[in-house]
Amino acid sequence: MGWLDVLNLLVASLLLAGIYTTMSFGMTVIYGVMKIINLAHAGFMMLGAYFVFELFNRLGVHPILGALLAFPVFFVVGMAVHWLLVRWLPVSDQPTLPSLLLLFGLWLVLQNLGYAIWGNHDRSIYTDMTLATVQVGPLTLSVVQLVVFAVALVSLVFLQLLLTRTWFGRAVRALTQNPFAGRLVGIDTGRIARLSFGLGIAFAGLAGALLASLYSFDPDFGRPFLLRSFVIIVLGGLESFAGVALGALILALVETFSVQFVPAGYQMAISFSLLVVALLVLPGGVASLLERRGRAS
Amino acid sequence: MTATSAPVERGLPRATATRDLVAAAVLVAILIALPLSGWQGNLRLIFTTLLWTTCSIAWNLVGGFAGQVSFGFAVFYGLGAYTAAVLITAGHVNPYVAFLGAAVVAAVASLLIGLPTFRLRGPYFAIATIGVNEAVRVVMNNLEALGAASGYRVDEIVGGKRVPFVMEHHYLTAVAIFAVALVLSILVARSRFGLALNAIRDDEDAAADVGVNAFLHKLAAHALAAALVGAAGGAYARYAAFIDPSGVFNFNNSVSILLMPVIGGLATIWGPVIGGGVYGIIQEELVARFADLHLGLYGALLILVILFEPGGVVGLARRLRTALGRRRAPGMPLPAGGVKA
Repeated sequence: MGWLDVLNLLVASLLLAGIYTTMSFGMTVIYGVMKIINLAHAGFMMLGAYFVFELFNRLGVHPILGALLAFPVFFVVGMAVHWLLVRWLPVSDQPTLPSLLLLFGLWLVLQNLGYAIWGNHDRSIYTDMTLATVQVGPLTLSVVQLVVFAVALVSLVFLQLLLTRTWFGRAVRALTQNPFAGRLVGIDTGRIARLSFGLGIAFAGLAGALLASLYSFDPDFGRPFLLRSFVIIVLGGLESFAGVALGALILALVETFSVQFVPAGYQMAISFSLLVVALLVLPGGVASLLERRGRAS
Repeated sequence: MTATSAPVERGLPRATATRDLVAAAVLVAILIALPLSGWQGNLRLIFTTLLWTTCSIAWNLVGGFAGQVSFGFAVFYGLGAYTAAVLITAGHVNPYVAFLGAAVVAAVASLLIGLPTFRLRGPYFAIATIGVNEAVRVVMNNLEALGAASGYRVDEIVGGKRVPFVMEHHYLTAVAIFAVALVLSILVARSRFGLALNAIRDDEDAAADVGVNAFLHKLAAHALAAALVGAAGGAYARYAAFIDPSGVFNFNNSVSILLMPVIGGLATIWGPVIGGGVYGIIQEELVARFADLHLGLYGALLILVILFEPGGVVGLARRLRTALGRRRAPGMPLPAGGVKA
């Protein structure tokens, strides 16, 4: 591998990390506020992909614009799902079995909805942008990847502003750090939970919509990304928003470079090995887990 | 909480297993008697249902009693199926010995999976198992030695001749595996080991404080469950005579295995059996009629159970019994059972 190849791979990793971060933020927000691992994340990503697909096919809406539209739509969907299902779950300061099973059931329903409406063919979105490239110095970059990266970046800046500059953001951060103290100072946990769930789903929808421009998809589209999101938030320390970006970068680097040595078919095994390694060897990312584990064993 | 299946009214778990063992013996006796008495019904349906129920009972050992939800039981089913298939076809091993081999291989695999993942608390373990399921399926899909994605044909040859297919043999094998699973489940539920598992599920730190080694207990329960599922997978491989990774390692199998005990009643002895029976029969009907809807129906069922009756069928029955009969004395604890918060 010459230095140019390495540089190419580094840039590719960075571009991939952008979309991975967007995708994982949705999971972190929900986990942080409600301590729920959203297994339906994969289902909403899949719906996000089909959302832009339908807009593009029926109304000719550009997929990037479609992805931006997906954000508010999925925000509302997320709040509705919270109102309809999630708010009945027992409140807990750690993930519970019912929450896991409920959202898993929801994922199955969404997935089946996907099969019922769109069948199990691979779909993809093809625009003028799809194969276009730009030359930056010695590097050839895909335009669509750059645009997706830019949108992902914008969404992250938006989230950062939301979390640091608004009352809602402060409430989210407070509940993430200490739900009981949060309640003591008068945060309406139900309302914040509903908004956070909406936000989490909005990010899932946005990520799925963006990924639709990069990859082909079918109703089972989200599953590999669900595991990736989980690997990322574990790498990032589960509740840290900055850690997520770091975790995304690590996973993107490992995946991009491992393709050089390992057949693409084994990609999934790599994400998983990284998860195991992260959980066992990287105490930095999983400090909270390790602390609890220390007491248990 | 099962050991609460016990008369909750008394607030203490029933210590003896006699009543459940007698019920199990009667059930198994009826199952054995069916083909012997010349019954001409659908043995195939009962065969598959028994294999599913075995997996359901096994999952309940880990997911119900110990509260460790796994989305990866298809791994053990698939490994058991492949182990038995290879032993029978390439090794010319007696099929019943091959089933034992399948159980052993699955149990060893469960240890390999459990060693890293049981370091994690419940839900983290659950997600990790999704990863394991995917990883193993992908590896099997690419493993040329075992036919990769195109599958593996099971040829049982004794003395140069192919052994003819006798449904009764397969059926009785399934009954035997089911009986072992049921008896093990009863013994675990009524033992110190089972109580320790319950304690781990209810509060791992408190369990550790009273001297329960959570990690080892989880590993043991996982291995026991894996062995049962592996044996069931082996029996399936011999029956189907052809297996492939997207069949036996399918994530949907993991989903089904998890679904049965939840529907029937988590952490009870008879819940997984009821769930497995209901599932086996519904599966047959549903897949035939609404092949493209069954996933969503299972999902909807899961949501409904969690929201309205976390105790499953058994919980519902208990609730009905309470409503119809004796009223709960004031101050008495509510029956816990089922999906614990």
